[in-house]
Amino acid sequence: MKETPEQVIDRSAKIVVSFFVASAGLWLLAAALLAYVAAAKLTDPFFLSSYEFFTYGKIKIAQANAFVYGWGGNSIFAVTLWIIARLSQVEIRGRILLLFSGVIWNMAISFGLLGILDGHMNSHEMLEMPTIVWPALFISYAIFAFLALVIHRSRKNPNTIAPQWFILASLIWFPALFLIAWNGLEINPARGTLPSVLSLWFGQSLIWLWLTPMALGAAYYIIPSIIGKAIDKYYLAIFGFWCIAALAPWSVVHHLEGGPVPMWIPAVGTVMSIAMIFPIAVASTNFHATAFRDIGKVWNNLPLRFVIFGTISYTLSSYIGVIFSLPDVAKLTQFSIINEFHFNQRVYGFFSMIIFGMVYHMLPKITGKEIGKSAKSFHFWTSAFGVLILLLAYLIGGLTHGVLAQQTSLDWSSSVITSVQPYFKITKYAFVILGLSQLVFVINVWKVIFPNPFAALFESDIEKKEKTA
Amino acid sequence: MTEKKKPADIPLYSDEDMVEVHADLNHEKHPPTIGFLHAPLVFVFLFGCLIFFCSVQLAETTNKFQLHPPAEKKNQLSPEELVAQKLKRKIDSGEKVFAQNCASCHQLNGEGIPNQFPPLAGSEWVTSDPGLITNIILKGLKGKIIVKGETWGSVPSQAMVAVNINDRQIANVTTYVRQAWGNSASEITEKQVASFRSQSSGQTDQWIGDQLKELFPSGIAD
Repeated sequence: MKETPEQVIDRSAKIVVSFFVASAGLWLLAAALLAYVAAAKLTDPFFLSSYEFFTYGKIKIAQANAFVYGWGGNSIFAVTLWIIARLSQVEIRGRILLLFSGVIWNMAISFGLLGILDGHMNSHEMLEMPTIVWPALFISYAIFAFLALVIHRSRKNPNTIAPQWFILASLIWFPALFLIAWNGLEINPARGTLPSVLSLWFGQSLIWLWLTPMALGAAYYIIPSIIGKAIDKYYLAIFGFWCIAALAPWSVVHHLEGGPVPMWIPAVGTVMSIAMIFPIAVASTNFHATAFRDIGKVWNNLPLRFVIFGTISYTLSSYIGVIFSLPDVAKLTQFSIINEFHFNQRVYGFFSMIIFGMVYHMLPKITGKEIGKSAKSFHFWTSAFGVLILLLAYLIGGLTHGVLAQQTSLDWSSSVITSVQPYFKITKYAFVILGLSQLVFVINVWKVIFPNPFAALFESDIEKKEKTA
Repeated sequence: MTEKKKPADIPLYSDEDMVEVHADLNHEKHPPTIGFLHAPLVFVFLFGCLIFFCSVQLAETTNKFQLHPPAEKKNQLSPEELVAQKLKRKIDSGEKVFAQNCASCHQLNGEGIPNQFPPLAGSEWVTSDPGLITNIILKGLKGKIIVKGETWGSVPSQAMVAVNINDRQIANVTTYVRQAWGNSASEITEKQVASFRSQSSGQTDQWIGDQLKELFPSGIAD
């Protein structure tokens, strides 16, 4: 039988994409474990307290880095490669180099996390890994990005569509952000308030300009692909894209509200994050107007269900983010655990959910093996439930925390901490649920990627019959 | 190709078709249809409001893009400073009342006119009991009096008529006179003036100096 061009592409992607997905899964488990330890330490300070490695400050930072660079980075590599190759209609080339860059990336992150746990942490947000690993990370990313751009450059159809814009933009924006921040913080260190502004700007922009466009691009690809209809009001997509490009890096500085920086920085941040309503509205119109023409499919098709959960979460959480950027609200919530809400809604509720859907969509195509339906379903419901509990706990707990902390008459330890503590307990259980859910995801993925050597022993009669037939 | 022009007819996309359909959509001009105008108009209105709100916010909160926050205003006065400030305002106002109603006879320097109008500077009638000066303004004064050792008011045309000003103005002007030109007597409040006015409501004619001396024996020592 002659292979279709798409099967040829999938075959070319098999080893590379499998490698990235498998390592992304391992990092996800590592991050889940660290997240549980960090959450447990907040409710019980004596938990693992005799090990210096497991200090809360180190664990928390290691978790964020493992999650963003380990899980986020690897899954971005996998999804980018596959979507770019599929939309360009060309095979993935330079596979050895891609694997090479992937190995360097993962080794650098491993060393970086060990460095963090050993106490060699940098003080810049999302750049906490020790200085020495960054050149390695940058070079491996540059190799990957170059090869992905080569694939895109040799595309069959010269026209480009929304998923390509978003994915390629995120491909280029990450090294651009990194170079700007690294130059201002390490190569030519700035003085005064600039380093702290730059550090926050990088940490937040990383989520807005690397993870977010990636997930949006994946959603722009997978929704019309599964629904089988063109994106509704597609002419708005280009507007949404440039709005994100222009507004997002400005909007993130609203987190400095009330900080020791010139007043215009948070003021501009607030205004730009209010203006972010435009791209959020565009993306949500595009996704939901397309997907909800066929609700049955959204419900029954598991990858699509993951993606739509992600896009709804993106819409809601972004609007909530706009509200929390208003100065009057920010005064209350600025120094509370509401920041955890912002981080988790973006990387768990939005980015990861879309990536899960994307992985479930592409892995069967690449490997030719189906993933068990009930296992996928279990993963979806535990993930959705866990994320919901986690975000609600952080949101309500954060509001409680922020409002109580404003009242100077209250005794800190007896009233503020005791009223926030139940929410920490809830997040601890939410992280247990999420960890379980992610374990199921990794087992699902690994079972498909790595052929089971004992498969022949457990093969059922029906499968044998099918084989002989 | 006709199939690809109508996206709704395609059951499931291959990636190749997806690129083509969306690329076509990007080049396509949208013919206006029924209802097309209303929804965008609402959005244009909403987004216009949003941009307006953003601009106001920007103008209000950016501190004109200055590096440093505006200097804090020093209007945090201590209670004593507040009292002093209030008294100064009262005296300033009293000076104006004096210039309009009194200075034509008693002169701006409070020295009066020799042999016609008595001085206020250093006069016991002014600086002693608050009741004296207040009542003189309220009802006027006629007949002979002795001020600073000289006798005044021997001619009826030199009698003082009542000054028609309200309690607040009287309080202000008496306080001014009692503290100007080297005088240093206590402040007179509006409340005191009001009580003197009600006490003297029975007096229809101008006061005579001896009458006042009897009413306020602590005032003039003779």
